Amino acid sequence: MGFLAPWFFAGAAALAVPLYLHLLRRHTSTPQPFSSLMFFEPRTQSSIRHRRLRYLLLLALRLALLALLVFAFANPFINRPAASVSANKLMALVVDNSFSMRAGSRLADAKREALSVLASRGPAERAQIFALGSDLEAMSQQTDDSQALHAAIEAIRPTDSRGNFGELARGLRSFSNSVSGPIDLHFFSDMQKSDMPANFADLALPAKVSLTLHPVVTSSVPNWAVESVDAPGQVWDVKKARVQAVIAGYQTPAATRTASLVVNGKVIATQKVQVPANGRAIAVFNALNVPYGFSRCAVRIDSTDALPSDDISYFAVERSDPQQVLFLHEASDGRSPIYFGDALAASAESAFTTESVAAGQAASVQLSKYAFVVISDVPSLPSSFENELARYVRGGGGVLIAAGTNIGRASRIPLFGANILNAQYYSNGPGGYLTVGDTDPSHPSIAKADRWSDVKFYYAVRVDESGSQVAARLTDGTPLLLDKQIGEGRVLLLASGLDNLTNDFPLHPDFVPFVEQTAFYLSGSERPGGSRVVGSYLQLRTAKERAVSVEVVDPEGRRPLSLQEATTAQTYQLNEAGFYELRLANGRQDVVGVNADRRESDLAVMSPDALSLWAGKPNDANAETWEQSRAAASASAPQKLSQQSLWWYVMLLVLLTAVVESWVADLHLGVRREE
Amino acid sequence: MQRFLDPAVLARISNLDLIAKTVVDGFVAGLHRSPDFGFSQEFAEYRAYSPGDDLRHVDWNVFARTERAYLKRYRGETNSLLTVLLDASSSMNYSSHSVTKIDYARFVAASLFYLAIQNQRDAAGLIVFDDEVRSYIRPSTRFGQLHRLLAGLEHAEPRARTDYAKPLDHFQQFLRRRGMVVILSDFFEPPANVVRTIEPLRFHGNEVVLFHILDPREMEPKLGEPVILVDSETSERMEVTPEYAHAEYPHKIAAHIEELRTRARSAGMDYFLLRTDRPLDGALAEYLTIRQERN
Repeated sequence: MGFLAPWFFAGAAALAVPLYLHLLRRHTSTPQPFSSLMFFEPRTQSSIRHRRLRYLLLLALRLALLALLVFAFANPFINRPAASVSANKLMALVVDNSFSMRAGSRLADAKREALSVLASRGPAERAQIFALGSDLEAMSQQTDDSQALHAAIEAIRPTDSRGNFGELARGLRSFSNSVSGPIDLHFFSDMQKSDMPANFADLALPAKVSLTLHPVVTSSVPNWAVESVDAPGQVWDVKKARVQAVIAGYQTPAATRTASLVVNGKVIATQKVQVPANGRAIAVFNALNVPYGFSRCAVRIDSTDALPSDDISYFAVERSDPQQVLFLHEASDGRSPIYFGDALAASAESAFTTESVAAGQAASVQLSKYAFVVISDVPSLPSSFENELARYVRGGGGVLIAAGTNIGRASRIPLFGANILNAQYYSNGPGGYLTVGDTDPSHPSIAKADRWSDVKFYYAVRVDESGSQVAARLTDGTPLLLDKQIGEGRVLLLASGLDNLTNDFPLHPDFVPFVEQTAFYLSGSERPGGSRVVGSYLQLRTAKERAVSVEVVDPEGRRPLSLQEATTAQTYQLNEAGFYELRLANGRQDVVGVNADRRESDLAVMSPDALSLWAGKPNDANAETWEQSRAAASASAPQKLSQQSLWWYVMLLVLLTAVVESWVADLHLGVRREE
Repeated sequence: MQRFLDPAVLARISNLDLIAKTVVDGFVAGLHRSPDFGFSQEFAEYRAYSPGDDLRHVDWNVFARTERAYLKRYRGETNSLLTVLLDASSSMNYSSHSVTKIDYARFVAASLFYLAIQNQRDAAGLIVFDDEVRSYIRPSTRFGQLHRLLAGLEHAEPRARTDYAKPLDHFQQFLRRRGMVVILSDFFEPPANVVRTIEPLRFHGNEVVLFHILDPREMEPKLGEPVILVDSETSERMEVTPEYAHAEYPHKIAAHIEELRTRARSAGMDYFLLRTDRPLDGALAEYLTIRQERN
């Protein structure tokens, strides 16, 4: 017998408290009034003696209660032979159903071997079935029902997820906390090398888990795959769209593969690529002739390897007409429309066309047909047009305002609403110009630019920045690019011009990505590439789009979201390869191509040494020596003991003593109602 | 009716007049409305007429039947004056239940006043005392006397300690006419002192009745553990054990009561013990029955 927390015995000092209360403390009682003490005589000595004798049992019970409490907190335990607890042994069978198990008959072999291990189980031995994909999934309860366990193994289906042996170890660690006895773990897998975690220590299992590995393949298998496809998510000019696919070979000889571009089930282009041994090759398709709307596209290679599922890579493309951009400028300003229009035409994959209108003719413009509006150094707008423009922004439209020297003479930026503090001509100062100081790289307009580091600004308008987000500042702290949300829309303010007079920005290489990203940002038409990886999450709604129903149709044509999930789910995890159809909370339709993680295509297996190290057993060469040393160690080692805590039993005694103490105390000290 | 006469029930009635009426009517009804019952004008005997006797006292009815003259004799004409001496010392405030001793004494006094004034048309007075005379209401038969007496009882709040010697000296000047003197007290004094102090009242021809009012716990204390008792009059403290309270104390108080009874009887005074848990009308009826039998 021992104690896990013997320092709690210091609490035994509390035993002095009842001793003091019972024996040392002078008894005090509340004086009671009486009509006359004429017939009474004092009897002090006898009363104390009497009290001591009478409360002896109560004192003993209180001392016992405290002593038992101290004993319980010291956490006593007894050692029991470990053999007595082996009856609680649990067999855990884990079958790998990651994407690589689709190769050949790997999953069927794994399930067959799991069934044979299950059959060798003891008659009353409990077992539980798990499937390991991207995470550990329990397929059954802990049971000794053979039929239920068989059914659970048969129910395991291949998935497109990436296997992760680290997840197996992590799941087993938390699972073992809920199991009292030892766990006999059997793992059936192709032991794919790419499923190993970065750190081998992540594979460590709890001490009470004994691992037995059942590899279904022993050597690596050659495999070709379409590793990645670089294609635009949105196409405006099919002639300018380009698709680039990487064909990879794993443990493969040099070979020629035929890559095909498939659009809506039809092959529209093929190309032969020479893939080097155990290397990669790139296939480029210079046109993506897709119809208007969404198209389900794929790049496919011809292959006869064991894993055909990775010979195709899906992506979705949306084709639409270019959107118009309204460019307002002073009639005397002929430079800024050219610079901005050329930059927009050179970028953005021809998604936008620019329409230049002089400010004086703006009153007749219908704003709803424009993706966004650019106001280049126009100090005042017709009031009706400014009101119309404000309504356009509040309804979700985007406006870019460039503040040149004309605006600098006004007191207020139109539409943006900020007061102009002063106009600063840096060309008059030392050095003649300023450069950009701080930038916010998370802002979409400058995310792809190189911090505008070499751009020279000769002039800038300093405005009141309150209520707006500053994305870039000049070196003197003047806000250069400000972003303000008005209603549902946005207004960007560039505190300098677009005319190559107040700065050299239009001639700088950073100008084109700025115009391109600003165009996508203000028009709200930026669409990410149309392909994702299995296991990634898709955002279904933003925080303000609550209670709006979304719809997801998976590659099998099912709707995986329940009615409640459809109105509340923020994200959805893509679990299968193929095309997902989406109707998002903002009303947009979308199609997403989803592909398995291509790290699963590398069918190289773990080395025997690594497997032995993980299982805690020697490899074949050293097996005989290891067995001998293990037998000798087990013979010489003392019998393994397990500690069984007596805490609960002691606490039960404490409870019992407390009840008796309460009864005795009530008997002696309770207030009696006088009859 | 009996349940209304429980002291605990009476204690909830604030109107002493109502209490007195309830009690007296209760026990008068219990005595079958004996018309001759009372403190004065009691018929005693016939005596043969002798020359010089007042002819007004001749019973002419007897003369008509027997042709002999007899005088009708009455007793206790001095009983027509009732004086109640109420002990209002602090010890009278003790109670182990809902009725204090002073309350019980008030009920007794109120009942006696009611009986004397309403039933017998006698004069009645009140002296409230502790270690001195605190209030004095002269005996009278005037209209409203009963209410004055009851108001005097109401204002008799216990305080100070009992000392019979000093107030009794003053009693002498108040009690010049002969009558009936009723003393309501717990008599926590040596019986010899009590009787010696009160005895002079008897010498004046007064009929003296001692009502000894005690709480049941004063006769049989019940202590669960050793306690400190505080004397309500002297504030003296004393630790008392249950053994003493249960074994020796009852004997001592019983001996005290017995000695007081013996000495009072020897001195020609009536003594009657009233426990505050006894129904009031029963106690009074019992006392008056004993008294009637003795007379």
